[in-house]
Amino acid sequence: MNLEMKNISKSFGPVQALIDVSFSVGPGEIHGLLGENGAGKTTLMNILGGGLPPDSGTIVIDGTEVHGMTPRKSNELGIRFIHQELSLCNDLKVYQNMFLGEEFTNRQIIRKQDEISRAQEVLDTLRTDIAATDLVGELTTAQKQLVEIARALLFKSELIIMDEPTTALNTQEIENLFSIMRSQKTQGVSFIYISHKMPELFEICDRYTVLRDGRFIQSGLFRDIDERQATELLIGKTFTKEVVKDQYAPSVSDTVALSVKGLCGELFHDVSFDLHKGEIAVVTGLQGSGMDELATALFGATPVTAGAIELQSGRLSLKQISHVMRSGVGMIPRNRKERGILPDLSISKNNSLAYFTALHRKPFVSDKEESERFENNRRRMDIKVGDPDDPITSLSGGNQQKVIIGKWLNIDADVYILDNPTQGIDVGAKFAIYRLINDIAGQGKAILVFTNEYPEIVQVADRCMVMYKGTIVKEFERKDFSEVAIMAYSTGTSMADGTDDGTSPIMHGGPHCDTHDMNENDTKEQNS
Amino acid sequence: MKPTNIRNPFKDRTPKELWRNVTTNYSHWLSFVILLVAAAIVNPAFLSWTNLTNQFVQGAIIGICAMGMSLVIASGMIDLSTGSVVAFLSGMGIVVLNKTQSLFVFILFCLAAGAAIGMLNGLLITKGRIAPFIVTLAAMSAWRSVINQLGQGGPFTVNSAMYESLRNIASGKTLGLPNLMIFLIVISIITGVMMSKTKFGTYVYAIGSNQQAARLTGINVDRVKTMIFVYTGLMYGIAALLLASRLTSIQAASAGNQYEMNAIAAVAIGGTRMEGGKGKIIGTFLGVLMLQIINTVLIMANVPPFLNGLVQGIIIIVAVLAQSHKKNR
Repeated sequence: MNLEMKNISKSFGPVQALIDVSFSVGPGEIHGLLGENGAGKTTLMNILGGGLPPDSGTIVIDGTEVHGMTPRKSNELGIRFIHQELSLCNDLKVYQNMFLGEEFTNRQIIRKQDEISRAQEVLDTLRTDIAATDLVGELTTAQKQLVEIARALLFKSELIIMDEPTTALNTQEIENLFSIMRSQKTQGVSFIYISHKMPELFEICDRYTVLRDGRFIQSGLFRDIDERQATELLIGKTFTKEVVKDQYAPSVSDTVALSVKGLCGELFHDVSFDLHKGEIAVVTGLQGSGMDELATALFGATPVTAGAIELQSGRLSLKQISHVMRSGVGMIPRNRKERGILPDLSISKNNSLAYFTALHRKPFVSDKEESERFENNRRRMDIKVGDPDDPITSLSGGNQQKVIIGKWLNIDADVYILDNPTQGIDVGAKFAIYRLINDIAGQGKAILVFTNEYPEIVQVADRCMVMYKGTIVKEFERKDFSEVAIMAYSTGTSMADGTDDGTSPIMHGGPHCDTHDMNENDTKEQNS
Repeated sequence: MKPTNIRNPFKDRTPKELWRNVTTNYSHWLSFVILLVAAAIVNPAFLSWTNLTNQFVQGAIIGICAMGMSLVIASGMIDLSTGSVVAFLSGMGIVVLNKTQSLFVFILFCLAAGAAIGMLNGLLITKGRIAPFIVTLAAMSAWRSVINQLGQGGPFTVNSAMYESLRNIASGKTLGLPNLMIFLIVISIITGVMMSKTKFGTYVYAIGSNQQAARLTGINVDRVKTMIFVYTGLMYGIAALLLASRLTSIQAASAGNQYEMNAIAAVAIGGTRMEGGKGKIIGTFLGVLMLQIINTVLIMANVPPFLNGLVQGIIIIVAVLAQSHKKNR
């Protein structure tokens, strides 16, 4: 397909999501679309997919201008959209999901067997172990993502849009996806590939387009730039390899703030470690390593079957989350949209809520105290906000996350568990949060960060524990940190020979091997 | 988005934007005023003092039920048992009153039994993990059936010894205002303050907005949901004692009929989002009055009373349509 999008503009209320953006993709081209969260990538693709009408601008496909694009029309033109967020029906089977709205029928009767065999064929080319007759609700997040991809490959298409298709996939699955993309490409199929992961973009894409703040910045060939230049284009300022952690004096004390002893749950077992005051420890691992469940279990949000957690004040009872909070443990949950924000409540109420459940004792709440509490956090973290009484959804992702973190700072806990604290936010906000984490560790708080982004580990950690198959298999001191070694332990690679020198030959992709960001799918752009 | 793309929404407001602010945030006031003007145009006598206080008096019992319903809906649940529970409580209340000859015991019974019934609903929903729709649908059927059986089809009538003192609760006047009107206003204020000025109120909206996030912030979701139904049960108790007092004779089969319908309608017109998370008690209060005014206007305009239900059905749909229209804008 030869696609040209010319001078596209789109605004949502007062927010201009796209300003005069032009963009083109040739036949058999894999085009990487780059931009920070909120840069307008998803909006641009939604316009192409017919989900949103542009305010102005034109779409020209193979020389013909398309008017009034709708999802159906774009499907008919051979455009397929793999959405960032999973849009599958859990109660239907895999093949039913894949054919939804486009069933093979014979006089209105679905040709079930044909659908199953065709679906299975596509699933097999992706080398998944998913059966077309599996119930989607029983699949893992990674498998669901593969079903989404398979759905786009079901029918012959001209252009496939992939919006962060690999967030839940492991290295092997990504490699399979890439080989399918390459073979489709030789048949003239074009791709638009949206990702935040530089190694993937450089591996699979031919050309790039960078968007920033809703504007077109630059297009070109990937082979003419390197990752560093691409990152600079992305964030619009000279990229310095700043390591926040190195700007802080070590603050680890000998006092143990949290001691986990032989903790077992449904998806993790025999987890033991000590966390000291003033220390920042990271727990990392891949999807399915049990780290997600461990994080929530430490806070009493998922059940623990054996073991104990001890604080300075004694054994921690996990029965009630509010009791855990009063005992001095705070947790910033992963997946802000699902677990963090209360979308209908004001910024100020979102900010106050943890204080209410843990510390507030008076019968009435006071607007004055609430605004003071928020004002403190606003200054501390430089939250960009108009009026604290506006709904929290009026903020950008980064500012929302700052409010969520501020909410937990209000309870002044001794131990903070941060589960993926910078998920789906832009670079500027990420660094603000790294600084904050180091700040509060300097004040003697004990901090446990769950993350699977290696750069994040480097920015904050004194120590890093790697989880694999439900338990901690390796601990690294800061001086021994190595992305390759951590990845090797996360994938179980170097366990047999015990090498941790970072040169394990089994690791794919050498030093660029990306710790695949297993975030659930809430990195959706904040457009309003 | 980078802040450079965002205009400060608090300056440079054009009249159009101000108007939008009124229509989004104060739509219940807007429709209330429009309705009042319309009613006055249809019949200028509408604005007489007697008639205006009458609107409060006639809307009071359902209005008190709607206060409870506001909490239930704001937290993302629903209660269909209103009418049956009120009928049960008022019927049984009269039996208790006749037996004990004590107004105090009668009031205590209505409140305590109401709270207990609410708690039962709440526990079935939270501990039994059954959808509120199902639990309260079952309760609607069950309590009506119990009171029908107890009354054997006939009415529950207060005996003559207690007649005057019972009747005086609802029909009396205090400081020149009808008691029912005072009840409605006081209870609305209490509920309003509870919802906007206490932690509990914030929790109710939080649960309706994002239950998972609410739980992870330490809110005991099950307890708050149960408390919502206890409070609602308490409201039904007050409604029941006022109904018994107002009618002095309760027909088991028909008392409280359609109360859930009216209460839900009032909450919907008042702008509370049907999926939960958003809403104001003042909205429900105005919603109650609006429903009542519409009824009065229909009577004044000689619309057959059988069509009241049709009008209410249409009102609910229009109110909810208006909400979703706002959301999409």
